[in-house]
Amino acid sequence: MKHTLSILLQNESGALLRVAGLFAARHVNIDALTVAVTHDPGVSQLTLVLHGDAGVLEQILRQLRKLVDVLDASSLSLVGSGERSRLVAGSA
Amino acid sequence: MNLSQATATAPSAPADPHPRAGQSLSGAEIVVQVLADEGCRVLFGYSGGAILPVYDAVFRHNAQRRGADGREPMPLIVPANEQGAGFMAAGYARATGAVGVAIVTSGPGATNLVTPIRDAMADSIPLVAICGQVPTAMLGSDAFQEAPVAGIMGACAKHVFLVTEPAQLEATLRSAFEIARSGRPGPVVIDIPKNVQNASLVFDGACRLPLPGYRSRLRALEHSHLDEATCAELFRALMQARRPLIYAGGGVIAGAAAPALAAFVEAFGIPVTTTLMGLGGFDTTHPLALHLLGMHGTAHANYAVEDCDFLLALGARFDDRVAGVPEQFAPRARYLAQIDIDPAEIGKVKRVHWHHAGPLAPALERLTAHGRAHALRPQLADWHAHIAALKRAHGLDWDRASALIQPQAVIEAINRITRGEAIISTGVGQHQMWAAQYFDFRRPRHWLTSGSMGTMGFGLPAAIGAQFARPDALVIDIDGDGSIRMNLGELETVTTYDLPIKVVVLNNVGDGMVRQWQRLFFGSRFAATDKNLHKKDFVRAAQADGFAWARRLERKDELEATIAAFLAHPGPAFLEVMVDPDAGVYPMVGPGASYAQMITGPFIASRAARPPAEADVPATAMF
Repeated sequence: MKHTLSILLQNESGALLRVAGLFAARHVNIDALTVAVTHDPGVSQLTLVLHGDAGVLEQILRQLRKLVDVLDASSLSLVGSGERSRLVAGSA
Repeated sequence: MNLSQATATAPSAPADPHPRAGQSLSGAEIVVQVLADEGCRVLFGYSGGAILPVYDAVFRHNAQRRGADGREPMPLIVPANEQGAGFMAAGYARATGAVGVAIVTSGPGATNLVTPIRDAMADSIPLVAICGQVPTAMLGSDAFQEAPVAGIMGACAKHVFLVTEPAQLEATLRSAFEIARSGRPGPVVIDIPKNVQNASLVFDGACRLPLPGYRSRLRALEHSHLDEATCAELFRALMQARRPLIYAGGGVIAGAAAPALAAFVEAFGIPVTTTLMGLGGFDTTHPLALHLLGMHGTAHANYAVEDCDFLLALGARFDDRVAGVPEQFAPRARYLAQIDIDPAEIGKVKRVHWHHAGPLAPALERLTAHGRAHALRPQLADWHAHIAALKRAHGLDWDRASALIQPQAVIEAINRITRGEAIISTGVGQHQMWAAQYFDFRRPRHWLTSGSMGTMGFGLPAAIGAQFARPDALVIDIDGDGSIRMNLGELETVTTYDLPIKVVVLNNVGDGMVRQWQRLFFGSRFAATDKNLHKKDFVRAAQADGFAWARRLERKDELEATIAAFLAHPGPAFLEVMVDPDAGVYPMVGPGASYAQMITGPFIASRAARPPAEADVPATAMF
């Protein structure tokens, strides 16, 4: 099942690598990733698509929230329908 | 635990300004001042070009503050290899709970530190590692001794900082300590380019990085108290249970929760089994202690896990050495409960019915108070009798009749003298498991072992770090002939600093644990694990490194007297014991097997064992 994650990341040296590295280390594939600036130049907004069961999603979210640079990580598919989350991912 | 310190973050305007606030200091001087402020009593590291300014600042700091007895306030201990420095810092941290500090140069200095950093991450040990780096203008130019430390360490550590902005150095250093010791502890790496070490800066004395995400999550965890309803829910299940069991892990030690656990057990009479990392979290000589569980756990502990109908996991994570087959772990437990400081560990391996994510000690205190206030005392006489019977019938034992020295006899002989009061470090393999099984562990931070990473070579440098942390304690490294070879250069470090460490090498002429697996699962083809052709004379090697007391024990009848003399020697001492090379570690829950299929070996009584089921995966594929 596809999931779309929204991650707010502090714009620190190596921060994106740590997010990508977490997925690699936990053996979860990143299907799509966009990085955008926010109104705060110190913070980036990541929109990330992965596939996996609910357990994989829950675990990767919890692990993301352990990264020091991560301000917030949430699953868009938990708040909207699958259709909606695809739209969000597509428009990001 | 130092959680309260972590929350006391005042980025500026502290009530009491630092005496050096406003002074003009170099980056390197700021490094040393923050280390002193954070309470570092000893540093471990190897010098090199890119860290020279910091080493010079350490030298000047110590020279200016030498005590009347000539002692330096923050001595810098030099290992044979940076890996040694990392494990010394880890031994220091494990023996005290304080943050251990290693300082190394760029490139190979930093990459030699990767193994201890990963080891500390895997066992949740608080470290701060400071690495020199090439100047910022040279970053990415393939400069001499340049390595991408932030990338390499970022995959291994709790966090890594590359300080490219000199003005951020001081706040970064202080925040590194905060991250290392708060929440679930871990190693933090700070990569400091040489020009940042040389920069002229103004010392603030209190600044920290904002870390908004980390801090807000930490604050939420620390303030998540167990409410009455949640306590009542757990007790409802506990009062219905007839065979409740506590499964205590390293979190009991990291969270300083051993007294709270002892009080909880005292109040409700629930037996306790501990993981390898949890040894010392509950006195193993207590009648309700079942000692180690898991792959090489005691038979009585593993049978108790099989029999329990309620399991409370405390700072333990159902890892594969404990719950090799998660769905068959504690198969009769109708209720699983878990407390952990790390929300990601809750339900990661096994679904639980009740959980609490937060600091362990206050949670246990809350539960004890709740149970006492409501006069809840489970009636467990039958279960206690069952536990006592399991301990009588399935206790540890070995080949006592053999003419060869059995490794278990060596551990028991040492334990008869030390009685759980010595600090024990180990390498990795059979000797590590025998030490875990046959020593008494009476209190936290006396057992230093590489649990999750399983790093051979850990024992000797960890013992060195522990001896610096606890100068008056008896520190014993129980090592194997394979493991000690990995960091044998640190024998010289022991005598250089005249540390009264006792080094025991249980020599079975090879990599015993791997041989045990090869015997069981690979048709006794001992690929690369037999060291019969190796020429090393360990005793002469120790003598060459300055050990005045170095002996080899080969005769069983000399065991007691030799060990007594060895432990009584006031200085560094080295004892090689030639042990039965075929001795095995039992019990053993084979890879992919359930506790019901545990092999107890020839000397420990087995309960009518369920024959091993046809495994879906062959044992040769297991790890």
